Amino acid sequence: MAMQTTAERVEAGVPVTVMALSGELDASNYLRLVDDVRPLYDAGARNLLLDLTDLSFISSSGLVSLYSILKVMQGEEPPDPEYGWSALHSMERDAEDGKTQDVVRLCGMQPPVAEVLQRTGLDAMFPSYPDRETALAAY
Amino acid sequence: MRSQERVLTDTAGPEAIDAILRPFMRLAGELAVRFEAPGSTPAAPGDGPRLTRDILVGGRFLGRIVAEGPAVRARPVAASLESIALAIEHLAGAGALPDATAAADARSGIEAELALSRLQQRSIVSLQPPDVAGYDLAGYYEPAREVGGDFFELFRLRRRGRPLGMVIADVTGKGIAAALLMAFARPVIHSALQAAPGPADALRRTNRILVDELHTALFITALVGRLDVGTGRLSIANAGHEPPLLIPGDGGPISTIEEGGPMLGMFSPLDLTEIQVELRPGDKLLLYTDGVTDALTSTGERFGKERMLATVEAARASSATDLVHALSSAVSGFGEGVLPADDVTIVAVGRH
Repeated sequence: MAMQTTAERVEAGVPVTVMALSGELDASNYLRLVDDVRPLYDAGARNLLLDLTDLSFISSSGLVSLYSILKVMQGEEPPDPEYGWSALHSMERDAEDGKTQDVVRLCGMQPPVAEVLQRTGLDAMFPSYPDRETALAAY
Repeated sequence: MRSQERVLTDTAGPEAIDAILRPFMRLAGELAVRFEAPGSTPAAPGDGPRLTRDILVGGRFLGRIVAEGPAVRARPVAASLESIALAIEHLAGAGALPDATAAADARSGIEAELALSRLQQRSIVSLQPPDVAGYDLAGYYEPAREVGGDFFELFRLRRRGRPLGMVIADVTGKGIAAALLMAFARPVIHSALQAAPGPADALRRTNRILVDELHTALFITALVGRLDVGTGRLSIANAGHEPPLLIPGDGGPISTIEEGGPMLGMFSPLDLTEIQVELRPGDKLLLYTDGVTDALTSTGERFGKERMLATVEAARASSATDLVHALSSAVSGFGEGVLPADDVTIVAVGRH
């Protein structure tokens, strides 16, 4: 249903953009989240920390947006997941090579969200920390 | 529209259609799909069952889908191929397939909308479960407002003892791309479960096709099972899907079968273990998609796991059919007045 995002740049040895999500990430807003991240990348952000402390729910559509955000932050344009052939091909996979990325990291995941990410295996794609402080210290 | 601009950089019409269909490969002789572009020399038909579907948009013949192999006899496979054809017609009519049609004129636009609504109705494939002596099988499917991505199937496998194959799957995301991916995946999963040595193998095979051939940007959660109807022994493999419920007939606690691996389309190879379960007489197995637990009220409350478990507990003594009905009614009643955002699928298998 409703979701709010706030973004700020923080110095953690390297510049990190911290984006806090609050509310629920689902089919009604998952595309908008990707639209929120794109201008950050265009403005030069290269390290994104998603603070999920106040995110109470994520649906399968939300998983799509996390993956799309990762693509954006890796300098690729994710295909529009709702329309067109391009959503069905073109994505190269890094994860199967065993490389983990660290361009997008997560912190503060709540149990309902952690459960979904763990069950689907998407958690293996993102370094994750219990809270913002621990996450920033890891940069 | 940004998405259409991106699509216009793809290859031209018939090539684009061919590229979509190319990922189908021979799955142990179960299914082969190809696209015959207009003017091309058709390949000689094989010996087995065959299904063809002409693609016509705006009065123009865009080519023909040809599917061959034993799997074309299965209703869900035939329905899938029809869904793919409708999706192609919709996109062509909407001007989203370059070179495949003239600019989206009024007639093409109307045809595009017609194809889309037929696609929506097609996705409501009424899958009547087979009759299996000694068991009660029930399935329920309610589509969301947008065309999308759940499916389930119950079918006898062509091997000794005719075990029961079970599939429940859910595409992440919504819209045409999700519906197309599911239309592709359905025949692949069906064929893989028919041909593979076991459920985990079937999902590994399916995953390999999705990752290596389709390079899909959407993912699929899927759970497949094979039930030896004589002994009640059930093998399950779960790729990122909601854990099924095991409801003992002796009144013991309802348990969830938690083990599983990542969803399909993400990692290759897929690391997945098979789980062995026994359905004793009186036991029931319940499968569902997140449309059940994620169902919303107008005030933003979710149906949730606790409410689902309570509903199932209350109906645990009834038949599989009545259990499915109790849960589906509870979900519909819960979301009264709110258009469902996600497909709802519920499947139950009960042993007498």
